[in-house]
Amino acid sequence: MIDCREAVRRMWAYLDRSLGDEPVEEFEAHLETCQRCCGELEFSRHLRDMVADTDQRSAPAMPPELRSRVELLFADAETSTEGRA
Amino acid sequence: MTSTVEATVSRAAHPGATGAATEPPPAFAQIVRDHLDGLYGYCFRLTGDPADAEDLVQESLLRAMRAYDGLRDPSRAKGWMFAIATNAWRDLMRARGRELRTTSLDDLDPEAGEFSLFQTLTIEDPFPYSDELHLDFLRLFRDDDVRAVFGSITAAFRLPIVLTVVHGFSCKEAAAMLEIPLGTLLSRLHRGRKQLERGLWDYAVANGLVTSTEEDRR
Repeated sequence: MIDCREAVRRMWAYLDRSLGDEPVEEFEAHLETCQRCCGELEFSRHLRDMVADTDQRSAPAMPPELRSRVELLFADAETSTEGRA
Repeated sequence: MTSTVEATVSRAAHPGATGAATEPPPAFAQIVRDHLDGLYGYCFRLTGDPADAEDLVQESLLRAMRAYDGLRDPSRAKGWMFAIATNAWRDLMRARGRELRTTSLDDLDPEAGEFSLFQTLTIEDPFPYSDELHLDFLRLFRDDDVRAVFGSITAAFRLPIVLTVVHGFSCKEAAAMLEIPLGTLLSRLHRGRKQLERGLWDYAVANGLVTSTEEDRR
């Protein structure tokens, strides 16, 4: 049985679905007996969403000038590929 | 340089690498175009500077074009592109004589490693009082506040959060991109989260979003 300290360490990996089967079972077994960690898991979920949502709302889009340069790069790549074909 | 992720993508989609090709691979632009905004956002996060982000995007795309023959699974293009960008950024840092800082969180702040925002809120129960104490605390933050706190996290601890939380990669994928063991990734993810929690609390107190009992006592 893992303790609260270990449960907290695994929380974000659990939310990311990145824990293996055994660590998940141990974590969920701990949650069944620990109201405090259930509360912290819920809080961690909201904290995680806040970071992701903030980034989504404020992520800078690629500047148009850069996009134009990238499209030129793509065009060059296509030309050289056709040239090789 | 070929990263673990780049190599894994090539191998995974190229089992045996024999047999006749059934259809030609999609054009490079067709695969990459969908990920351009995400790639730019990631490069901006890595560098923290618009001009550096533009250079990094272009360098990453040039490297990706050269390595494109190695990509046989277009569905994994995003991870492949991000791995290339991470490598390019690491090379840029080395060229500038700057390595990714991995200072121990304990060295930065001996108490930060054990800080729990959840616990602090429970104990402090800061004004304004609320039935949904923990969630209402998060609602006090505007986007600018969150960005300021998130940007203050040590880069080595922030990157795992960016890759997993913001861009949706698994911890295993993020570890491969950063070329670190999974255990190290999980440790840095934890440290980044602790810095985030501590940063949010300090920011809230410093900017008057909450009044802590410690403040009341002064």
